[in-house]
Amino acid sequence: MRRLIPAIATTGAALLLASCATVTSSSHVDTGIDFAQYRSFDWGAPDVFPVGDPRLDHNSTFVDYLQGAVEKQLAARGLEHSTAERSDLLIHFHASIDQRIEIAATDARRGYCFEGNCENGVQEYEAGTLIVDVVDRKTDKLIWRGWAQRSVDGVLDDRARLVRMIDEGVVKMFAGFPTHIVRSK
Amino acid sequence: MRRARSSFVAWPAVALSAVLASACAPMQVHSYAPPEASVATYRSYGWAVGDLGSTGDPRLDSNRFFVERVQRAADAELRRRGYERASVGAPDLMLHIHARLSQRIEAAELDHITGTCRDDCRATVFDEGTLLIDVVDARTDALVWRGWAERTILERVVDDQASMNQVIDKAVTAIFGRLPARSL
Repeated sequence: MRRLIPAIATTGAALLLASCATVTSSSHVDTGIDFAQYRSFDWGAPDVFPVGDPRLDHNSTFVDYLQGAVEKQLAARGLEHSTAERSDLLIHFHASIDQRIEIAATDARRGYCFEGNCENGVQEYEAGTLIVDVVDRKTDKLIWRGWAQRSVDGVLDDRARLVRMIDEGVVKMFAGFPTHIVRSK
Repeated sequence: MRRARSSFVAWPAVALSAVLASACAPMQVHSYAPPEASVATYRSYGWAVGDLGSTGDPRLDSNRFFVERVQRAADAELRRRGYERASVGAPDLMLHIHARLSQRIEAAELDHITGTCRDDCRATVFDEGTLLIDVVDARTDALVWRGWAERTILERVVDDQASMNQVIDKAVTAIFGRLPARSL
């Protein structure tokens, strides 16, 4: 999906294409840092970046699956889970939900509408953003931030869909995590 | 199914972007200075520490990559205008960054006289970003100069770090283009 989008991303179409049920993801990275120096990680204090929506607070399914999915990605890159006193990296996560509006295309194929048929399909939805921050423990600096976004309508009260959304979002965002950190054990 | 839909949304996108381009100017830059203030009489500056607060986009909240890029671009522009970033001691000026992304809706261009649409009758929804930089007197905390830029931000701009950096550089250059050079 990510490969299809760039060609048209520079047009206004990106807004229409951000169709709310699709997971979009990306990341920012500190390009001046050698990620190969890091060997271990731990979870940062949860109160620093709490879950940002009351419906996800104290939701153990959300927290457990998210942490599991992130740990799997970090382990695949050769990073080991250790205690906070010794770990090189601290991981924080944050989830927020915002009201967004999407306008459905009236006639997507033709790009115009006929007389008397010009009504817009305005749709309000809840966009969820899941953010994972990776911080260098020694310098206390953010070195990587990944995120995934999609509509959470019908997801928050459906355990199976919530788990699927977390898995997909985390895998997609970690595609942007530096790969040269991977080393043989 | 989503892929199939994407491919035929792409063509009207050309028309849609034309509407967006004509209706929303690419970037608008403004500045304000209180009549009693004269920024050109100051010499050194520093960056206010602390978080940007809520930007309206969780991807940019507490995002050091965003903040440091703004500062880097601004440092170059300020140096060009004769201001010095204070390395020791208290600076004369403190700079504060504010950023805001919000979703906007724009009605399609409608000919109000004939009641007909010209190209496309759709309303469009887009994100608008505002980057604002306040320059305050470090001693009195009074505003000395303020500059800001507003533009339509495609969601993909924040997703792509290189594009985001490019947009920041352009906005910062345009903002400080309105800052008076330091009087020597």
